Amino acid sequence: MGNSAREFFASRRGRVVKENFTAYLFLAPAATLIGLFGLFPVAFAFFVSLHRWRRFPDHYSGLANYEKALGNLAFILFFWLALLLLATGFLLIRRLRANLSDSRRVVDYAQIACGLVLGYSILLVVDWFFKLIPIVMVIPRQVRGQNTSLELFMEKLGESFLHADVLLAGNQMLAALLCSALVVAVLLRRFPHQLRGQVIAQSMGVITAILGGIFLLQLTLAEIDAALAAARESGEALPIWSQLVFVTCGACLLALAWVIFQRGIRATENRRFLVLILAGISLAVGGYLLMAEMPAALTSADEDLLQGFWITIMYALGTVPVQLSIGLLLAYLLFQPIRYRAFFRMVYFIPYITPFVATSIVFRIIFNAPETAPANRMLSIFGIEPQRWILERNPVGELLGLPDFLAGPALALVVIMIYSTWTYIGYDAVIFLAGLGNIPGELYEAARIDGASGWRIFRHITLPMLSPTVFFLSLVAIIGTFQAFTQIWILRTGAVGSKVNTASVYIFDELQNSNRYGYASSMAFVLFAMILALTLFQNRVMGRRVFYG
Amino acid sequence: MAESTRNLSSIAKPPSGFDWSKLGIYTVLFAGVIVAVGPFLWMISASFMTLSEVSLTRLLPENLLWENYSTALRRANFLDIELVTDPVTGILQSISVSGYLWNSLRITLISVVGSLAVCIPAAYAFARMNFVGRNVIFALFLSTMMIPGIVMLIPHLLTVIWLGRLSESLFGPAGAWFNNWPSLTVPFFASVFNIFLLRQFFLQIPNDLWDAARIDGAGHPRFLRSVVLPLSKAPIMTIITLGFIGSWNALMWPLLVTINDDWRPIAVGLANFVTADTPGDLNLQMAASVITVIPILILYFLAQKQFTEGIAQTGIRG
Repeated sequence: MGNSAREFFASRRGRVVKENFTAYLFLAPAATLIGLFGLFPVAFAFFVSLHRWRRFPDHYSGLANYEKALGNLAFILFFWLALLLLATGFLLIRRLRANLSDSRRVVDYAQIACGLVLGYSILLVVDWFFKLIPIVMVIPRQVRGQNTSLELFMEKLGESFLHADVLLAGNQMLAALLCSALVVAVLLRRFPHQLRGQVIAQSMGVITAILGGIFLLQLTLAEIDAALAAARESGEALPIWSQLVFVTCGACLLALAWVIFQRGIRATENRRFLVLILAGISLAVGGYLLMAEMPAALTSADEDLLQGFWITIMYALGTVPVQLSIGLLLAYLLFQPIRYRAFFRMVYFIPYITPFVATSIVFRIIFNAPETAPANRMLSIFGIEPQRWILERNPVGELLGLPDFLAGPALALVVIMIYSTWTYIGYDAVIFLAGLGNIPGELYEAARIDGASGWRIFRHITLPMLSPTVFFLSLVAIIGTFQAFTQIWILRTGAVGSKVNTASVYIFDELQNSNRYGYASSMAFVLFAMILALTLFQNRVMGRRVFYG
Repeated sequence: MAESTRNLSSIAKPPSGFDWSKLGIYTVLFAGVIVAVGPFLWMISASFMTLSEVSLTRLLPENLLWENYSTALRRANFLDIELVTDPVTGILQSISVSGYLWNSLRITLISVVGSLAVCIPAAYAFARMNFVGRNVIFALFLSTMMIPGIVMLIPHLLTVIWLGRLSESLFGPAGAWFNNWPSLTVPFFASVFNIFLLRQFFLQIPNDLWDAARIDGAGHPRFLRSVVLPLSKAPIMTIITLGFIGSWNALMWPLLVTINDDWRPIAVGLANFVTADTPGDLNLQMAASVITVIPILILYFLAQKQFTEGIAQTGIRG
C-alpha cells in the first residue's frame, strides 16, 4: 500500500496532484479568512440590508431600508441595477459566441451545459446559505443565559439545518451539486484535453448575471407594486412610475449627449462639428429637464444621509485639488538639484505616518475657540478677529459675507479639510517625486535644445508624463475622503451637530447609537455604489487623458 | 517606483557649495518643513507646560513639567505596571501590566505574527506553484481590496459575535472574540495587500535556485523555509512596519468591538480620553498624544527605507 502510494506520487500525474494538494494546503488559512472576512461580508451585508436587523435578524423587509435612505430613488436605482445585470448577461453571451469555434462541436455545447449547471448550483448554494443564515445568527441569543456548552451550540446548529425552508433549499442544492459533479466527471472523461476554462467560466457568468438580474427586477417590481398599493390605501398619489421613466430617460439622454459631444469635439469638419455640438447641447438640456424629477423622487429620503453625501462631496472638492497641487509643487521643487533632499522628504512624510488620532488632537487644540488659541493668535497678527473654528457651525461663506448660494461648508468642516490636506501633502509629494524620477531625462534635454522655457517644459512634458501619477493619487484621495473617519471623530464637537458628518461617519453613528444594522448596511451599500460609480466615471473621463508613455 | 527613486540622484546632482539662486526654492521648502513639523514641535513643547501656558499659546514652557507625562500615563490609563512582591520575603512574585500602550503592543504583535503566518504560504503558493484555479482565486482575493471598510463593518461584527459564541462554548470565557484579542486581530490576518507584496517579491527569486533545491531533494515547504524566507527580509520588514502603524492607528473597528479596557488599543484610549475631557487639561492631552506618537516616530526613523519604499511601491498605508 505504502509502496504503491509512493509510486503514484513519483509519477508525473502524481506530482501534479501533490503540487495541487500542497498549494491548497498553503492557501487554506488565507482563503478561509478572506472568504470569511473579505468575500462573504459583501453578500452578507447586502442580505442584512434587506432585513430589519437590530443586533439580531428580525424579519425580511425587502427594499424598505433603501427606501428609507433614498426615498423613491431607491426603486429607480434598483431597477437600473437589474437592467445592468441583465445587460451584463447578454454581453457575456456575445463574448461566449465569439469565443466558440465556428464549427460547433459537441465539446462546446458540453462545456456550456457544464457552466450553466455549475452557475445554477452556485446560485442554489447561495440561496441555501442565506436561508440558513438568519436561523444560525440567532443561536448566540438563544443560548445566552443558558449554560453554554459545545453540545448545546452544536445541537442548535444541527436543528437549524433541519428547519423546513432550509431543508428544502438544501436538498435542491445537493441535487444540483451532484448533477454538476456528474457533468464535470463525464466531461473530464470524455474530453480530457479539450476543455477550456474560459468558456465554462463565461457560461457560469451568463447564468448568474441573468438569473440575478431577473431576481432583482422581480424584487424591485414587487416592491414598487407594494408601495403603490400602500399609497392607494392611504389615498395618496405615489408617482413612482413616472419618476422612474423620467429619471431613466433623463439619465439616458445625458449619457447620449455626452457621447455626441465627445464625437463633436473630435470631428474635423466644421459643419459636422457644429451639428454634433448643437445636438449634444439640446439633448443635455432635455436630459436635465427630465432629471428635474429627481428632487421629487428624493423627498422622502433620509435628510441626514443626503447631507452626509453633500458634506462628503464638499470635503473632497476642498481637499483633493489643494493637496495634489501643493504636493506637486513640493515634489517639483525637491526634484530640482538641491541639497538635503533626503531630509526634506523624510520631514514631509511625518504627518502622514503619525497616528491620526494624535495629530487630530493637536489640531483640535490649535483650532480651538478661545481668543488665545494658536489659530486665533495667528489671525490677530493680521488683525483679523478671532473665530470659533471647530465650534463654528455657520458656513464660511456667511462668515465672509458672501451671498447664500456661496455659503460653502461649515467652518468646522474647513478645519477638518485643513487637517486632511496637511496630512496627505507629504504622501502626495513622495509619490509625485517617484513619478518625476520616471520621466526620462532626454525629453528635458530635447525640449531645452528646442528653446522651451521652464513653464512650457512643465506644461508640455512634466505634466503629461506625470498624468498616470496624478490619476492614481486623485483616485486614492477621493476614495480616502469617502472613508475618512478618525479626523472627523476627533475634530467634531457637540456644538456643530451633524454639520461635519460625512456619509461614513453618519453610518457609523447610526450603527453604534441605534444598532440598526439593516439600515446601516443599506446606507453602506449606497455609499459603496457611489464610490464604484465615481471610480468608473473617473476611469473613463480622466483615464482618457492619461498618457501612459 | 523604487527604481525611480534610485536613479533620481543620478539625474539631478546637487551642486557643491550653496547656490544663492536657489534661495527661493529653499524658502518654500523650509516653509513646508515648518508647516509639516510645527504642530509636532508645539505638541512636544506644550506637553511640558502648565494648563494656563497652553491656553495662552506660549511657545515654550517656563519649567519643564515632566510630571505631565506620569499624570497623563495614569489618567489616560496608558500604562500601569504592578509589581507583586511576597510580603514576607520581599521576592518579586508576579508583574501585572495593563493599559492601552500594553494592549496596542500585544495586538500589534499578535496581528503581525498571525498575518505573516497566514500570508507567507499563500503568497508562496501564488508565486511559485501551479494549481488549478490560481488566477481566478488571486483575482478574487484582489477584488476584496476595493470594498470600502464601512461596508464590511456590519458583517464583520455579526461574524465576530457568532464565531465568538462558538469559541466561547468551546474554550470557556477565555475563548470570547468580542472585546478580546481575536476580534481585534484575526479579521486582519489574511491581508490581501501583504499577500500581494510578498508575491511580487517571491516572483523575482530566480528559478535556478528552485531547480537546485529540487535536485537536492527539497520540496516546496523546505524551499520556502530555507531559501525563500532568508531572502525575503526586506518585504517582511515592510509588512512589519506597515502592520505596526496599521494597528497603532486603528480606531473605527476597535471602537465597535471593545467595551472595556481589557484589550482596548491606544487610539481608542486616546480618543476617549480627549473627547471625554472637554475642554479639559490640554497639557495632559498633549502629553498623551506625544506618548502615542513616539513609538511610531522611533520606528519611522529606524526603518525609514521600508516606510517610504513600501508606500511608494504600492501607494497604500497599512
